[in-house]
Amino acid sequence: MRNGTDTLTITIRKRPWWFWTLAGSWVLSEVLLLQTAFASVREGEYRAAAISWIAVAVVAAAGLLVWLRQGRRRGRAS
Amino acid sequence: METKGKGTGRRALLKTAGLIAAAGVPVAVSAPEGGASGKASRAWWVKTVDRPTLAEKTADFKRFSGDNIFVIYRPLKTQRDGAGSFEAEQAAKAKRLAEWMRASKPGFRLPDHQLSEGAWTLMNSTEPGSGLLSWTRISVRTPAELGVGRHTAPPGEMAQTVKAAARLYGAGLVGIAPMNEAYVNLRQEKKDIVFEDVDVAAVTDKKFVIPRKMKWVVALAIPMDLELLSRAPTSLGDAATGLGYSHSAFAVASLAEFIRGLGYQAIPSVNDTALSVPFAVEAGIGELSRLNKLVTPEFGPAVRLCKVLTDLPMACDKPIDFGLVEFCKTCKKCAEACPSRALSFDDEPSFKTKGPWNNPGHKAWFEDSYKCFQYWQKVDNGCGICLASCPYTKGAQAWIHEVVKATASIAPAADGLFRIMDNAFGYGRQHDPERWWTKDPPSRG
Repeated sequence: MRNGTDTLTITIRKRPWWFWTLAGSWVLSEVLLLQTAFASVREGEYRAAAISWIAVAVVAAAGLLVWLRQGRRRGRAS
Repeated sequence: METKGKGTGRRALLKTAGLIAAAGVPVAVSAPEGGASGKASRAWWVKTVDRPTLAEKTADFKRFSGDNIFVIYRPLKTQRDGAGSFEAEQAAKAKRLAEWMRASKPGFRLPDHQLSEGAWTLMNSTEPGSGLLSWTRISVRTPAELGVGRHTAPPGEMAQTVKAAARLYGAGLVGIAPMNEAYVNLRQEKKDIVFEDVDVAAVTDKKFVIPRKMKWVVALAIPMDLELLSRAPTSLGDAATGLGYSHSAFAVASLAEFIRGLGYQAIPSVNDTALSVPFAVEAGIGELSRLNKLVTPEFGPAVRLCKVLTDLPMACDKPIDFGLVEFCKTCKKCAEACPSRALSFDDEPSFKTKGPWNNPGHKAWFEDSYKCFQYWQKVDNGCGICLASCPYTKGAQAWIHEVVKATASIAPAADGLFRIMDNAFGYGRQHDPERWWTKDPPSRG
């Protein structure tokens, strides 16, 4: 509620196509890297597993950072 | 109240993740099946072609003498290093092995060595033309003895039947190639191998007789145990080779009996009688590589090849191209990993052979088998580092390998990057031999 009125405002912002492309690539990368990490452990390729785990963490952190920044920007805009 | 789209975004993202996972996973895991494997489809990036990728041959290409390095090493060693050098080398090897066993050197302890000896048992008990590798039936009853006619079916259906049987007997990949007499050795066991217009295959005191009506060759690739191979060049690594050969002997002996049981003739062969690699290339099992060995899309070079010659009419497979030759031109990892520097560093394959163990008249990256075999004398029975180091030698569990192989097939420009990544990820390094007995249990059994 704003300004003591009963008006409810819902703002729906359409995200651009590249956002979904990026998000999809991010999820795909995470799935692939996680699978590689687990599979490498099972195959005894420990160096490959370690690098994959680091890559999982880096990609996850990058995604989270972008997400948070976008959220903050939207917060400021509203 | 205003929603800022956060909740919607998360839900959408999770939905997207689900969709991508659902769509992506089957693509990634569907790869290791193939036309040449007897199943409906092979990975989409394995293309069939009319001619093998390294098909160039000259008039020098003739039937091979059969004098491979195992046959000619002793006289060559004597010729190069003098009388008694072979015997001295063998004595030094035996002494060194005994010292390693007493010192419990990882990978060369008594159990390691005997594991290898055990793995070789079946192969060591074979002899071309007799026993398991008999050119005539061993025990199967013929259709006539069973009171029925011999099995007939269209060539395509017959090929499927034979491939299904071959897979059951242990083939990871199986394909059919037309007989090419040029791929059959000239001699073995001090007897000539001849083609004659006869009805039945025969082994006499003077010759091995192959009937000319045997116009088909079933080529089989038996996958090697990667857990053992990754311990090369130890006795454990050698056990992978021994096991591959013993499984090969079992597979071709069983398949030959199956074919005889259908009412046809069959000659089972492992390393004897004919060259396995060209038949396997023409049967679409893999491509000729920098190793001068076959590399398959599914198992890399970590296979043992064997074949069955037959008069059973079948539809033949076509050779394949999955970008291997281009990859080999860039990669060279096997050549760098080879401790004896036996593999070629040349950018391009050529007609230049390295010694009498090579069959001239065709284009390849020829290897120096003398250097290779000399290194074998410094370890146990064999090496296998080149097989283990090849970027195509990978377990089937990680989907990323399928993505890399598919990309290499369609975009050779990325080959150099993949080679760098392969090294960075530590692939091809020797796994801890002692760990095999405790942490990495055998994958079979």
